[in-house]
Amino acid sequence: MTSGLTSRNGVRNENYLNLKAVTLEPRPFPRADGPDKVTGTGRYAADMVLPGMAFARFKYAEISHARIVRLDTSKAESLPGVVAVITATDVPDVRYSPGVADRTLFATDAVRFEGEILAAVAATTEALAQAAVDAIEVEYEQLPTVTDVVQAIAPGAPLVHPDWQNYEVSAETEQRPNVASFSSIAHGDAEAGMARAATVVTSRYVADASHASPIEPRAILAQWEGRKLTVWSATQVPFDARAGVCETLDLPTNQVRIIVPHLGGGFGGKCGFHFEAHIAALARAAGRPVKLVFSRKEEFLAPDRRREGMVVELTTGLNADGTIAARTGTLLIDNGAYTADAAFFPQLAAMLAAGPYRIPALKIEASLVYTNHQPSGSVRAPTAPQACWAIESHTDELAATVGMAPVEFRRLNGLRSGDVGPVGQTYGEIGLQACIDSVASRLTGETGTEADEAIGLAVGWWPSFPGPSGAYIKIDSDGAGQIITGAQECGTGAVMTLRQLAADELGMAAEDFELVYQDTGVAPYDTGATGSQTLFNNGRAVLLAASELADQIRQLAADHLEAAPSDIVLSDGHASVAGSPNPAVSVAELAATAAGAELLIAHGSGKPGEYPETVGASCVGDQGVAAWASPQFSCHGVRVRLDSETGVVRVLNVATCHDSGTILNPLGALGQVEGGVLMGIGQALTEGTQYDEDGCQRNPGLLEYKLQTAADAPTITTQFVETTGGQGPHGAKGLAEAPNVATAAAISNALAKLIGSHVTQLPMTPERVWATMTDATPSDADRDATGHDTSEPKSGDEL
Amino acid sequence: MTERPNPLLIANTIDEALDAVSRGSTPIAGGTDLVVGARQGNKRLPASLVAIDRVEELQSIGLDSDGSLSIGSGVTHATLMSSTVVVTNYTALADAAALIGSPATRNVGTIGGNVMNGSPAMDTGAPLAVFDAMIQLSTVAGNRQITTSELWVAPGQTSAEPDELCTAIIIAPQPDRSGSAYVRLEYRRSMEIAVVGAAAVVTLGLDGTIAGCRIALTAVAPTIVLVDGLESLIGQAIGEATLATVADLASSQAAPISDLRASEQYRSHSVGVMAKRAVLAAARRATGESISVPVNRSIGVGSDGQRQWEAGAS
Ligand SMILES: Cc1cc2nc3c(=O)[nH]c(=O)nc-3n(C[C@H](O)[C@H](O)[C@H](O)COP(=O)(O)OP(=O)(O)OC[C@H]3O[C@@H](n4cnc5c(N)ncnc54)[C@H](O)[C@@H]3O)c2cc1C
Repeated sequence: MTSGLTSRNGVRNENYLNLKAVTLEPRPFPRADGPDKVTGTGRYAADMVLPGMAFARFKYAEISHARIVRLDTSKAESLPGVVAVITATDVPDVRYSPGVADRTLFATDAVRFEGEILAAVAATTEALAQAAVDAIEVEYEQLPTVTDVVQAIAPGAPLVHPDWQNYEVSAETEQRPNVASFSSIAHGDAEAGMARAATVVTSRYVADASHASPIEPRAILAQWEGRKLTVWSATQVPFDARAGVCETLDLPTNQVRIIVPHLGGGFGGKCGFHFEAHIAALARAAGRPVKLVFSRKEEFLAPDRRREGMVVELTTGLNADGTIAARTGTLLIDNGAYTADAAFFPQLAAMLAAGPYRIPALKIEASLVYTNHQPSGSVRAPTAPQACWAIESHTDELAATVGMAPVEFRRLNGLRSGDVGPVGQTYGEIGLQACIDSVASRLTGETGTEADEAIGLAVGWWPSFPGPSGAYIKIDSDGAGQIITGAQECGTGAVMTLRQLAADELGMAAEDFELVYQDTGVAPYDTGATGSQTLFNNGRAVLLAASELADQIRQLAADHLEAAPSDIVLSDGHASVAGSPNPAVSVAELAATAAGAELLIAHGSGKPGEYPETVGASCVGDQGVAAWASPQFSCHGVRVRLDSETGVVRVLNVATCHDSGTILNPLGALGQVEGGVLMGIGQALTEGTQYDEDGCQRNPGLLEYKLQTAADAPTITTQFVETTGGQGPHGAKGLAEAPNVATAAAISNALAKLIGSHVTQLPMTPERVWATMTDATPSDADRDATGHDTSEPKSGDEL
Repeated sequence: MTERPNPLLIANTIDEALDAVSRGSTPIAGGTDLVVGARQGNKRLPASLVAIDRVEELQSIGLDSDGSLSIGSGVTHATLMSSTVVVTNYTALADAAALIGSPATRNVGTIGGNVMNGSPAMDTGAPLAVFDAMIQLSTVAGNRQITTSELWVAPGQTSAEPDELCTAIIIAPQPDRSGSAYVRLEYRRSMEIAVVGAAAVVTLGLDGTIAGCRIALTAVAPTIVLVDGLESLIGQAIGEATLATVADLASSQAAPISDLRASEQYRSHSVGVMAKRAVLAAARRATGESISVPVNRSIGVGSDGQRQWEAGAS
């Protein structure tokens, strides 16, 4: 077997305790979807056209919390060109959502956020559909809005869901008034630990909500043929979308087919089940195909996939030697009005708040709090960038309190291979310390920092998510291969890498395989482009299928070459007998033989990796991910420049190092890290949703919701620590989310060195930086007669 | 015949354009305000449009017989920022043009569109105000020229009549030893709209002190505003005290609103910072120093090179 791992330049240091970070040499990577995407021949959901199709528009609440007194669609129905108008009464009465079944397709008695859907209209043109939407009459009785997570859990706060106790919840979900789910991590005696500590530091950090902002707004086209429904959808999770359609429209899975044409990005925003059922129901009512294409504004307002706002309070007790004695923490996570897939977020956030540190006594409580905001959901590494920003800013405060350099504090307290983590999980070989060393040496190795520049770093961690997944591989009569996989490509290149995995296993070239993917009608199940799981799980399936196929080819070759199957070697598209000078036979030739007899078809799925055992932890509300399978570790370091008169910050350089196990595709891995960093810079400095008093978004557009642009990109250098023990193919862990964990935190720490204290609200906009600086002006004693600061400038050049 | 809700006329000459506007058509140049605004639902597309982007007569930059610079209203920001005469003698205008949107925006967006759109956040506005530019408005009957403060009356509103087309922007020559600069506060390096901004033109005396100074401010009032009371700077050397005065004057005369981009307080503060930086850069250019366009990318936090904005930093 030729392995894709041998051709790389990176030197793998197998020493358990002395891992080295290396920069992997990207090898040329033939990306199957590349030419389509760059030449414009690729088709996206919004490009799809069917004969006779009508156009959909939604009637949104446009108000955050109200009882529906009257909903009258009669005028809309009578308008010319309108072919269907549907509301809650036209679909099965199903309350759904994973974790907490708290929502319906269409609003019934009340609306709880501005983007809630009251009705859907289909008409022969988009303009007519919009006119019909505008003709729908709604009368509301306004209800008090809940917009603040702290006030939401105060006694007597108005309830977002008065009926919450009657909702169906998954077994382990613990609920309270206005709390959709709750989780805690407790071990040791945190109170006693705190009492014994030499110093105690308390911090409070607040993160605003933000958005996934994929380049492609979502689009859906639904068509019925008899009982059978086909939906083309811009989703990251076609099987999840299918499950949602089946659940809400009461259909069996074999009558529903979800096809995703090329997907124009998602970043988690297109995870979950969204609007496929609305459009399917509309198409059924209209008796013709119906298509929905979102505007950018709708992309901001309507999906239940906002990155959650968060309030983080942390108290850490330190021993005199700088080791951590105890930590307590409270996290309030803004769930919004409904529980999309956020029920397990408290667990993720609690783990993030513990951080990858040795902490003997710990008590973290995390609540997912209902408000009248847009629902939150899995945006790339949900809860992580905000929680990491809070915890790692706090960590620099801790280091300062005991007079340690931040990097030394992390070396001292950071987890090492063999340590036991917050929930009693024992870690195998982990690369955290190597990541810290790698970043620290690159950042401090640079020439001296100017007075307006500083460096800072942060560490992060993130799990991998084992799950079921399947693939088929076949080779047809001409020797051309097809990989038929349930996996979904959202731009990361994970699905594209499957070709390389199969080719390496079969001694063939990636170009010998075409991918058939993103179609629930033809491929076995996969969780979708979510949770960094595609290569991690589907890679396993493809490897298994390829190895089954390799056995089939070896058997054919053994017959042909008159040798034992175990002596057959597959390489360069040929089968030959090991050590024999006899001519090889091509796979194509064998495939032609097979085409007239037993076909070359293989399948793979494999048992998902297991969650590690946890010992001695009490973890309330565990939904199975508190222990982290194949945990990934990272360190990001940044050099920033501050315009001290305006608070404008620029990130100049970023050094990253990641332990994501074996790196299967270095080029793709670098792309993931660089993209994650840029997204992290946006979260750190410019990306934040602003709400008005009623909980409506004030900046649902790309002019006022400021993403980073290519012109803002810093220089990014990346290394990988290839630890052993990843449960993915060839020892891989996940990777796509991990790079979006630590960047904002590193920026926060660099910035704090320049202004003397941390900015405590995310994003750290220029105005917030300026306000922090204005508040944090040096005391009068530090000023000379002209009012200039004479205190010793903090060196920004030390980590 | 296909349905045509918005008849679009295409003018090839100024006369055709004037004829169309006299009969009720609204001019569209690059469309980067008009079309984008309509798509966002800010303003409906006018019932009838005349495209003027093919009128070559509107696309040149030249010197009039009296030495004045005449910029056709159809000149794009990309042309403006790379025009030698603009970069050399009216540098603030090149600074502004070079900041607008992205390369795509600059390739189609025009100075005429920027001026006639009349946004208080428009970037070419403050430079044109400090240069005392005249806006030439034409009808089928003839031309008139008005100042920028006569033109801009309220956010998005000008004093031009519906049948008037802006045909040129005319700027008189600047005195010797003059330099100019436009600096804006921005949160990212492209696709940005001014949070606040300031343009300055500074003329130095033979002794190097300030002989003349004009400053205009972006996005701190319903229209671009000129700063008053700058006479006190005459005869002063450029230094910390002078620049502090400039910042105070600008901040105190700003009457900004709080909105999504910034609070009133932050705008007032930062427009002072922009004003003093514009004066400093203008003064340095007045000495003959070359600071590349746009200033935002050559000094300060946005720069890859020189970073400090101190008076003596040159
Ligand atoms: C992505 C993006 C980024 C942008 N960034 C900036 C920026 O950084 N700074 C900035 O200032 N602006 C910015 N803008 C706004 C816009 O690009 C500029 O104002 C541009 O100069 C407008 O020129 P235009 O030719 O496209 O105008 P159009 O959209 O064609 O016209 C604008 C208005 O002026 C009128 N008009 C146009 N020409 C004439 C004429 N000759 N006579 C009379 N009326 C006329 C039109 O009827 C219309 O009302 C941006 C726009 C976009 C889309």
